[in-house]
Order: sequence, then structure tokens, then C-alpha cells
Amino acid sequence: MTDLNEGRLDLHRSRARLIAFSAAAAVVFAVLGARLFQLQILSGTAYADRALASRTVVEPIRAPRGLVFDREGRPLVVNVASWTVKARPADLPSARVDEVIGVVARITGVDARAMRARYRAFSGSPYDLVPLARGVSREAALLVGEQRAQLPGIVVEVDPVRRYLDDSAKQNGSLLSHLIGYTGAVSGDELQRLAAQGYLPDDVIGRDGVEASYESTLRGRYGSRLLERDASGRPVKVISTKTPAIPGKNLMLTVDARVQRLAEEALAWGMQAAKVKQGVTIVMNPQTGEILAMVSLPTYDNNKFATGIRATDYAAYLADPNRPLRNHAISDIYPPGSTFKLVTGLAALQEGVTTPERTWPTYGCYQIPGAAPGDCLFDWNHAGFGPLDMIQAFAVSSDTFFYQMAVHLGVDRLAKWANTLGFGAPTGIRLPGEAAGIVASTKWAQQQGRPSVYTGELAQAGIGQNVIAVTPLQLLNAYAAVANGGKLMRPMVVRGETDAAGTLIRPYAPEVLRTLAATSEHLQLMRVGARQVITTGHAYNIRDLALPGQLSGKTGTAEFGTPKPDGSLPFHSWFVAFLPSRAGAADAQLAVLTFTYSATVPGNVSTEVVKYFLQKYFALRQDLRLDPVTFARVGRSQN
Amino acid sequence: MGIATSSLTGTVRARQSRGFDLQLLLFVSLLIAFGVLMGYSVGFSGAAGSGLSQTVKTLIWIGIGLTLFFVAASVDYHWLETFTWPIYVLVLALLGVNLLIGRDINGAQLSLTIAGLDFQFSEIAKVLMIVVLASYLTKRRERIGRLSTIVGAAVLMGIPTVLVFRQPDLGTALVFVAILGGMLFMAGASIGWMGVTAGVTIGVAPLAVNALHAYQRQRLFCFLDPGQDPQGACYQLVQALNAVGSGGWFGQGLTAGEHNRLGYLPVQSTDFIYTVVAEELGLVGGLVLLALLALLVWRILVIGWGARDALGTLVAAGLASMILFQVLVNVGMVMGIMPVTGIPLPFITYGGSSMISLLFGMGILQSIRMNARKPTF
Repeated sequence: MTDLNEGRLDLHRSRARLIAFSAAAAVVFAVLGARLFQLQILSGTAYADRALASRTVVEPIRAPRGLVFDREGRPLVVNVASWTVKARPADLPSARVDEVIGVVARITGVDARAMRARYRAFSGSPYDLVPLARGVSREAALLVGEQRAQLPGIVVEVDPVRRYLDDSAKQNGSLLSHLIGYTGAVSGDELQRLAAQGYLPDDVIGRDGVEASYESTLRGRYGSRLLERDASGRPVKVISTKTPAIPGKNLMLTVDARVQRLAEEALAWGMQAAKVKQGVTIVMNPQTGEILAMVSLPTYDNNKFATGIRATDYAAYLADPNRPLRNHAISDIYPPGSTFKLVTGLAALQEGVTTPERTWPTYGCYQIPGAAPGDCLFDWNHAGFGPLDMIQAFAVSSDTFFYQMAVHLGVDRLAKWANTLGFGAPTGIRLPGEAAGIVASTKWAQQQGRPSVYTGELAQAGIGQNVIAVTPLQLLNAYAAVANGGKLMRPMVVRGETDAAGTLIRPYAPEVLRTLAATSEHLQLMRVGARQVITTGHAYNIRDLALPGQLSGKTGTAEFGTPKPDGSLPFHSWFVAFLPSRAGAADAQLAVLTFTYSATVPGNVSTEVVKYFLQKYFALRQDLRLDPVTFARVGRSQN
Repeated sequence: MGIATSSLTGTVRARQSRGFDLQLLLFVSLLIAFGVLMGYSVGFSGAAGSGLSQTVKTLIWIGIGLTLFFVAASVDYHWLETFTWPIYVLVLALLGVNLLIGRDINGAQLSLTIAGLDFQFSEIAKVLMIVVLASYLTKRRERIGRLSTIVGAAVLMGIPTVLVFRQPDLGTALVFVAILGGMLFMAGASIGWMGVTAGVTIGVAPLAVNALHAYQRQRLFCFLDPGQDPQGACYQLVQALNAVGSGGWFGQGLTAGEHNRLGYLPVQSTDFIYTVVAEELGLVGGLVLLALLALLVWRILVIGWGARDALGTLVAAGLASMILFQVLVNVGMVMGIMPVTGIPLPFITYGGSSMISLLFGMGILQSIRMNARKPTF
């Protein structure tokens, strides 16, 4: 060993400090290594999971919406490709938004302000697409595509939209719009509620009819896939499909589009002939509750809604006093008039107020019990009919007979039977917007702030006036329950689910809501009464139709509103009928109701409409229609 | 060890032949290669501009750095002692100029562009200040135990520290402080007085923290609870932890790290490079890199211990302190045990000034080695 300090300008070298320094260095590296081990091995899985979650997005896979067929397998709702102009905010410089949307507006003809508002209102990821204009023409879509260089952030996508067809597979959005409804863009409020169910910002949702009430069935279930994205949020590649999309189910309506067309034609003729502005025709199978046709006029074009309705079109619909957007068959309530005598009569028989054989005097004017002398209610026949039993009274529609029935029943027994027959509550048909109607009762009167219903009101309730209000569907369904032998059915519009070709693969079962606690004798008696309404000629010449059964039914006229200058009131006209094989039988397969709003003609428009419908439905060579104003024969029978 | 070195460097002539330290060169070369590889991987992702051009730039810097390394290695390091004061003035001037006209990088003035290449003076200032401080402490070696030595050194180091801090570059300022502490310790300064000084420094630290920009302050304290602002100030740290944690034993493969590839680490080529190492090469790769850095620190300490004089020992101590501290803060930062400050990882972080400065320092070390006394162990 040589001299260690040779020539050294040395300070005292401390081995201890070197060791201390080295130890500190060793500790530093050991801590870092240990921390690395902890992060990567001990809790590596947790970090890796978190890392995966933070750099992936779950992207929805849209499920195609289910189609709709009629009961014969005719397609009524199909999905067609439509061009939608969308904007991706991430690629659209905010300084150029107005300018770019302006160009898009010029090309597509869509209001620039509306598009700008839609763009501004969007609050999702800047990589999401904001739909600006749906249902753009192919030419406009191509133009937008060509000018892509001048339109940063604008993309044209093909989206499916609903197309609504009629019985001849033509695009026709007015034949079935109240039944089928339409789809519309999901609103911000709805989105908050529905986002958990997979609804997307640019999604559609059923807005009316079956589109709304069978929304979850038609929609199917959206799937999702895992997309990897980079730090700026741009999707890079698909990692995996988490859940596949389940296409919406195809539905078959109970409705026969051809029958629907016949019903609409018949109703439109009658309304036009009588200058009536609103009307309803419903055709039903009373055994099952299946709706074969449901027409509410005026109607609207649901194809206008399929790509987002123009504000002017929508305003016009809203401004129309006849409210075309409403399904009058289920959403509006009217006094049922004499058709309600079925309820009063059945209740009186069941509650022992009368017997089938017992006759009651009838009057020109019925003195209200307990009221001042002379305070009486007129019969429509101011002469009165003399003594009548139930069948006779129903056949000639004696008002004073049923005043007496109602007064002897009392309001709550009448209400009980009205409720049993489905009045005062929605029928449960799976269509949105069904009204409950009004059935007078003590409780109802107390809710109005009075002890009970006045006797005069009660008497009038017995003939379906004043304190009784029903939807056309409720009335038809009550008649159907009597016609089928006592089962109150839930009216159904959807027959079941089909395959893609429209073949029924999963039928929905008809549902009996309740069995009426009425004897079959009494039910049969009411059916016989209904048959006699026709045979006695109370419904004019409809008895002369050569139908494959014994048409039974009831007319009704319900006065309402304010008297005209000549003292007459406008009235609603009803006709409800069913077709058993023989008088009194409970085997009717067809029940029809027509309601016309505010007629001022001498004839019963609704009877004429049903007559015309039956002629068409059974393809009769007869044409027995009477002009509702002049009572002259409209057409000529072909034989 | 020295014996082995001697035999390996037998071809180098004259008295220098004894000392050329192949181990130092080996560790440095491996680290540089590691860094180039990681830089390539980051560049490959396209997240940090065009990858190749960045790698080429790095190679140019390495070329310049290696030239400096060999120049410094071949000259007796005592010239540094001669030029101590000019060097000190130069450091202050550079930092002053930088503070006045420096370019903005991420909100802080950190570099000047010379001939198209960004240069951060603070990097070279670190190495130059090690030399200045070593020279000062060598001169004070008779009075090394006094408080005045500590105060003098602190003042000497304090001026450039404040200049750097004002840029604002908290990280580099902290490195200066670490160098000062490490060198004083290895110089044999009074432990007691150092403790007092450290206490005073810690006492005034809140003032320094207050002088920071809000964004720096927020980032600084993310490591205590990264969840406090995962999308904002702590975003980098959260993503870094996720990336490191995703590495597992062997990593996701070079250039295949998901966070790196998808650009989740905004400054991954600079301060967060270790996350890429950990994500793509896993625990094994991360430990290999730490081991290389540990070997380098160890080798520097060995060279310092065997230096011919105090100057050499202290320069080595300074370089070891600097590298150790930078590794601790940089690697600790991406693993959430150190505050987030912009301190580069020696030889790995992309950056010409850091590379040149480090290679210059390694060159001085090589010179120290070659002018060392005979092996003592």
C-alpha cells in the first residue's frame, strides 16, 4: 500500500458519512422498488381495472324497432332509411357554428334557428352526434356530403324512421294513426328518467297509440359494446360486445286494416251527409274483445310525425276545433242517451225492481217524485206508449219507463251496474289517453258538494243523460259483454307478436275482466230486446239488410249544449249493434258502434253509418242507406 | 474493482490509463439506451409529435453530450477550480437572461431556443453549481465545521435557486437545495448546524409554497389524495397510477402501453416517462431501470471516494445527490409518494439540456477517476 494521502488537498473524509449517504440512497431505491411492487403486483388488478374503465366508453348498439302488422299480416308500420344531418361538436369550431348551420339550413330547407337551438341544447360528449335535421331528402343529403370540406363537423347518417302504411301497403298516415300513434324525439326530461333504460339523446320514443303503449315491446333492448378511446375521447376501436342488441318485437294488431278502411269510408260518408264534424266507429269481436276497427274522425297523418313534424303542421292540428290528434273513441266522454237503457234495464231486472213479465205505465211526461206538481220529464214520444214490459220498453225506447226503473233502483244500485258493465273507469285497452267517464252516485254527488243526486237527475241517468258520460269504447264494450253472455272483456288492440314476415308466433290471450253477476235469462232478455229494436223498425230500414245473423242493437240520441233558435238542441247520435246467429243468442262475433257528434238532422246518422258499414263488410248488393236529412234512399240496391 | 477496471482500460495510454472507468460508461450507456428506447416508444404512439424526428433529435443531443463527456474526461478537472468564479457569474447570467426572455413551456419560462434546439439553462446550471460549490467547500475545508461555511454555501446556492424558483421552476430549485444538502453532508459540515439550517428552511417553506402559482400548488398536493380532483389538477397523477398499476410483472410490451399509446399522459415523454416504463415493461423493466440508476449512483460514490482530492470527492457527491434526488422525486411522483413537480428522470427523460448537462457531469467524473489516487480498496 502506498501513501493514501499523497499530494492530496484533502478534507477529512468520513467513512461514516459515506456509509450514511449510501444507506440513504439504498433506502430511496428500496422504497421506490417496493412501491412499484405494491402498485403493479399487490394492487395491480385494481389499477388495471380502473385504467380500463377510464379509457373505455360503453357505446350503445341500437336495436331495430319492431314492425306492426294487421290481423291479416299486412304490414302497417315499417322502418325505412332516412337521411339525418348531424353535427359532431368536437369537429365543429364554435366560431363557425352559425355559419355552418346556416349552410346546412339552406341546403336542407330546415329552419336554421331550430337547428341552432337543437345544437345549443345538446349537453352530451362532444364526440356524440347531435341530430340537426331528420328526414332530409336524398338530394339534400348528397349535397351536404359534397360540401363536406366547407362543413366541418357535419355528417350525414342513415337512420331508420317509421313509415306508416294503409291496407294496400301504401304510405298513408291517416287510416290508423289513432291506433298506431307515432314516434318522436325523446325530450330532455324524459331522457333523465329513461337514460337508465338505455335511451339516448338522439333517441325516439312512442308518442301515441300502440307505439306508445307497447313502447318497451317494440323498442327491444339496446345492446352495448366497449370502445377504447384516446385521451381526447375519440373512439379508437371496438374491444368487445358486452350485450348484443335485442331487436324489438313485431306486433300484430287485432285490427283488420281493410275493415278499418270500410269503417272509415262509411263514417266519412255519414258525417259528410249530415255535415257532422266528429265521429267514431268501432268494430269489435264481442267474444274476445278484439278491436277490428277503430275510427276517430277527423284523423291526422302520423307520417308527418315520423321525421319530426313541422311547427306549422302541428299548430294546425292543435288549432282545429275538432281536435284531430285526439282519439275520440277512448279519450272523450259523451252522454250515451238511450243506448244506456241496456244498463238501466239489466239493473232493474237484476235488482228485482221489475220482472220480465211486469208491465209499467208509460207517460207523455213523467212526474218527478217529490218534485212540485207539473215538474215532469218528457218521453221522446210525448203521447206515451201505454203499459210496457221491459222488452217492449227497450224496443220502443220508452224514456218514461226507464225513468221509473232508475228512480226505483236508486242512484247507487244503478251506479253499481254501470260500474259492473265497465262505465266510470277506463276499459283497460292498451292505448294511451283513455278517459274514465262519469257515473253518477251518492259518492260522486258528495264530491260535487251535495248530499246526493237529485231525483230528476237520477231519472235522466236512467236514459243516459245529464249525469252519465261514457267513451264510445266503454259503451261498445258493455254491449259486447251482454252480447257474449256476460263476460266483460278487456278490449284488445294487439293480437300478439309475429315473426319478421308478419306470421303470428306468440298470440296474446283475450282477458276476461269480470263475469257479470247477471242471470243468463236477464241477459238473454236484453239481447232479445235489442233484436226487437231492429225488427220493430225503431232503427229504420236496417232490418231489411240481408245479414248472416239477427242484427240486434240500440239507437241513442243525446241532447246537449244550448238550444238552437228553433228551440231544438244539437244531439249526439249513437248506434250500437251486434250480430248473433238468432235473436237472443250469445254467439255474436261482430259488434259495431258509431257515434256522431253534434248532429242537427232529423235522421239517425249513426244508424246510417253502421248500415253502410255492414253493407260493405258483408259485401251486400243492397244499398239501403237513407239520407239523414231527407230520409230519401241514397243508393239503389243491385238486385 | 479498480483492478478490473485497470486491466480493461489497458489500451488507454499514459497516466490516464489507470482510471478510465468503464463501469461508469457502461451504466451511463445502458441508461441512455433505455431512454432512447422509451423515447421511441412514446414517439411511436404519435402522442408527442412525430416519433422519429424526436428520436433523431435525442440522438443529436446524445452526440453533443458524448463529445462533451470525452472532452471533459480528457481534461484534468482542476481547470474547474480555476474558473470557479467566472462559472458562477455565467450561471447567474444565464439564469437571469432566461428569467427575462425565456420561452413559455406549459406556463413556465424554462428554456431558450438556440439554433432551433430548446435549451434549458437550469439543467446545465445544476452541474455548474456543483462545481462552484465543490470549489467553495474545498477552499473552506479547514473551517468546514463552522456555521459560516453552511451560510456561505447556502448564500452561494441560494441566488441561483431563487432565480430558478422565480421562473417558476420549483423542481429545479428543489434539486439545488438537495445538491447543497448532499454536498455539505459529504463535505463534513456540522450535522448540528445543518439540522438548524434545515429547520429554518422548512420553517419558511410555506412562504415558498404560497409564492407558487395556484396550479402548481394544487398539483403539489395531489399525491396526498389523488381523488380530490381526478379530472383536473390531479388528472396526470391519477392516470399515471393507473398506467403504472396496469403494468403487472412484465408490462404490456414496448410501444403497446395503453396509456402511452392513447395519450393519457400529457407529458409522458418528459416528466412521466417512468409510467411508460412501468406500463410497458412492467415490474421487471421498472426494477431494471431503478437498478441501473442505483448502480450509477453507487459508481459515482465510489469514484468520489477514490478521488485524488476534496474537489473530486465533492463534485462526485454533488452529482450523486442530484441524481439520487431527481430519481426519488421523479419516480416517487409518478407512483404517488412524492409531490408532482417537474423534475426529469436522469438520462431517461427526453430533453437535450438535461442529457448534455448529465454527460458533461459524467465526463468530469471520468476525469476525476482518471486523476484519482491509486486504488485503495
